[in-house]
Amino acid sequence: MLVGDLMDRDLTSLGEDATLMEAIEVLSRHRIPGLPIVDAEGRVVGFLSEKDIVRAALPGYIDLLEDPSYVPDMGQFKVRMKRASMDSVGRHMTKEVVCLSTNDSDFHAALIMIKKNLKRAPVVKEGILVGVVNRADIIEHLMSE
Amino acid sequence: MDKTIVTVTMNPAVDIQYVVPDFRPGRWFRASEVDRSAGGKGINVSIILQQLGYESAAMGFLAGFSGEYIRDTLRRLKLTTNFVNVIGESRTDVYIVDEVGHIETGVAEAGPYISDEALHRFMKNFDRILSRARLVYLGGSLPPGVPQDAYKDLILRCKEAKVPVFVDAFGPALTAALEGVPKVVKFDHRFLFSTLGYPMGDLDDVLELVSKIHDSGVEWSVTTYRAVGNIFYTPEGIYLVDIEREVKEQMVSLLAIGDALMAGLMVALLEDMDVEKAIRFAQACSLEDTLHVKKGIRGRDMVESLMPKILVEKLD
Repeated sequence: MLVGDLMDRDLTSLGEDATLMEAIEVLSRHRIPGLPIVDAEGRVVGFLSEKDIVRAALPGYIDLLEDPSYVPDMGQFKVRMKRASMDSVGRHMTKEVVCLSTNDSDFHAALIMIKKNLKRAPVVKEGILVGVVNRADIIEHLMSE
Repeated sequence: MDKTIVTVTMNPAVDIQYVVPDFRPGRWFRASEVDRSAGGKGINVSIILQQLGYESAAMGFLAGFSGEYIRDTLRRLKLTTNFVNVIGESRTDVYIVDEVGHIETGVAEAGPYISDEALHRFMKNFDRILSRARLVYLGGSLPPGVPQDAYKDLILRCKEAKVPVFVDAFGPALTAALEGVPKVVKFDHRFLFSTLGYPMGDLDDVLELVSKIHDSGVEWSVTTYRAVGNIFYTPEGIYLVDIEREVKEQMVSLLAIGDALMAGLMVALLEDMDVEKAIRFAQACSLEDTLHVKKGIRGRDMVESLMPKILVEKLD
């Protein structure tokens, strides 16, 4: 089966100029772990996950630490999160997005998602967002066969 | 990339149809049949367009458990969606179909409150999808919080992008939409008479009203005539449309028949059918939807088989 046949044809996304606050609200209301970031024509230019949002509130040296106990306490984290909430999505999104094509096979999609440890990946046709594939969609599809 | 049809349902609903033979108010009944579906005019149009072989993207606002039900239903139907989720609860509309008395009773809710932020997000999504839209449909009531001239605003955006618009609305939302001059408008003339303060009149009054709408630049307008017929005001004249009596007797449900008509008219105009064929096709879509409880049509071949049952009379 092709990705175009098993994807969720949902176009929930935000523009680069949206704030992190807006992104948090969309993720929460839509109950999704991440969303594609698109330009004015719907072309995918990035992807923002919950992880990217958390990272926005953490100090820059976090990647250098082996032990997360050095991370500031929850109070400081909240302050930093509030400060970051007015930042643009474009500043914190992942710019090198793994996109699937509607013509990719289900096997290719499964391999990519496992290899890159993705829960959700945008699906594009000629660069334009046409849907998303969730790991759960692939598992549901495999089980129904 | 191929351009798509966009349908807007600002106030979607879960439609529940109970078939209750010999229904009367003030008593308890057990439904002999239940049909639960995702609804609201634009969503119905998207579903029927798919049944006619056309893809579309459904937009609007969703909220709460009903909203999740609607989104999940559309996901399973493999329809493209781009809704803004808001706080509250999307509507549940209940219809009671009495097959014995041939009467339908309905109860509709108001819908969730839409904040300025949610409306702004919707408009951004709309502008984005407009760049690859071939046709836009706006239909149904506006939920609390959405300005009454929202349809006019959307029509003007479509005009700037040179995308034709179909509108099916009533009340102030319709009168504001008419100021934007959509390509096609469908309305219940009884609502428009009351909104504009016209006295409820006969066929001549309806024709005068429809002529005024046409003179403002609206190319096609459709309004109800008798129970299930319609008056079509087209670029080539006015047509009275009715249905053969023997088929009328087989009608079961009137739910979404106007939406089936609009979906049929969209397909007809996209396929460049001549005016009379377009009218027959659109009305046949509507007729097919009435012949069973389940909302929608059972396929294009069924629609085409009903086209000879449509009575079309061109007025001088």
